Amino acid sequence: MNLPAALIAHLALLSLISFGGFPSVLPDLRDFVVGTNGWLTDRDFANCFAIVQAIPGPNMILMTSFIGWQVGGLPTAIASALATFGPSCAVAYTAFRFWDRFRDTAWQSIVRRGLAPVTIGLVIAGGYVMARVGDAGWASLAVTLAAIALMLGTRISPLWLVAAGGALGALGVL
Amino acid sequence: MAYVLNEAPAGPRVTLPALFTTFLKVSLFGFGGPIVWARRFIVEQQHWLTDQEFADLLSLCQFLPGPNVASITVCLGSKLRGPAGAAAGLAGFIVIPWSIGFGLGALLLHFAGVGGLRNTLHGVSAVGAGLIIATGLRLLTPHRTRPMALLFAALAFVGLAIAKLPLLLVVTALAPLSIAAALTERAILR
Repeated sequence: MNLPAALIAHLALLSLISFGGFPSVLPDLRDFVVGTNGWLTDRDFANCFAIVQAIPGPNMILMTSFIGWQVGGLPTAIASALATFGPSCAVAYTAFRFWDRFRDTAWQSIVRRGLAPVTIGLVIAGGYVMARVGDAGWASLAVTLAAIALMLGTRISPLWLVAAGGALGALGVL
Repeated sequence: MAYVLNEAPAGPRVTLPALFTTFLKVSLFGFGGPIVWARRFIVEQQHWLTDQEFADLLSLCQFLPGPNVASITVCLGSKLRGPAGAAAGLAGFIVIPWSIGFGLGALLLHFAGVGGLRNTLHGVSAVGAGLIIATGLRLLTPHRTRPMALLFAALAFVGLAIAKLPLLLVVTALAPLSIAAALTERAILR
């Protein structure tokens, strides 16, 4: 398999199993792109992640597009975008048709109660891996911890936290 | 929980351009949590769903794979106007915002190695990781009294983050066991 095709097939697979959305695919995607294949450096991967925090738009789709762009140019970027939302949207469309038919059934609530904790563990794992990516030192980890505390303890908009993180970085604190 | 999503909406028929522009706005305003904006436009401005219907749809989409808002777009578009509605909503959600975001981001990536920008991105990345962890912890709160739920959340975390196992393996190994555990909980409750 040539290089872009392997990436796109992997993205399509991740799209189908990305319970919890964007964060849950980050650890696997990083291992595949940085570790197994060495297409990007750890810092490139972290940069793609940082950029989609700072711009509006569908950020999971944009992040995989940036990875695709660095692996194989614009065509790979577009194919990566399609592979990221196509399979999961097909699942959503089908599930929506079927789900209603089985509403109020007991097994539906059991499946949801069973799947939720796994999803949550995957989401936290995604954040943990991104907190330690690249050359993250103690100052960087302190910023991550502060962001967690402020998100949980206050009603401050995440946008301000992202801006503050960028400012601290620009000042050369991290 | 009941999903009352397939009933025809009251009021006039929703047009395809309306679906396109609404989800375009959701996507473009989507800084720091598109769900907030999705609720504002769908419930408060367009009155396509009530608050309860929106909450039901969101909980279905959180349970599905993929970006939650993309799934909401597909489900709501399909409810209001069938396959064409799903396509119109999805096109609005993706095409223009993707083009703008990709252009901006490609420019930033091109200069990502330059000193000041490199440091800024580093700070943004550290905060982004914190936002994700905080979201996960908040989602965990309603399950904190269920030992089995905490166990499976911990196993999923360790499998993916510490043992660095592939996502496919973690999901296929843990999901059936966790569902079985939820089934046992229910049997005990009875």
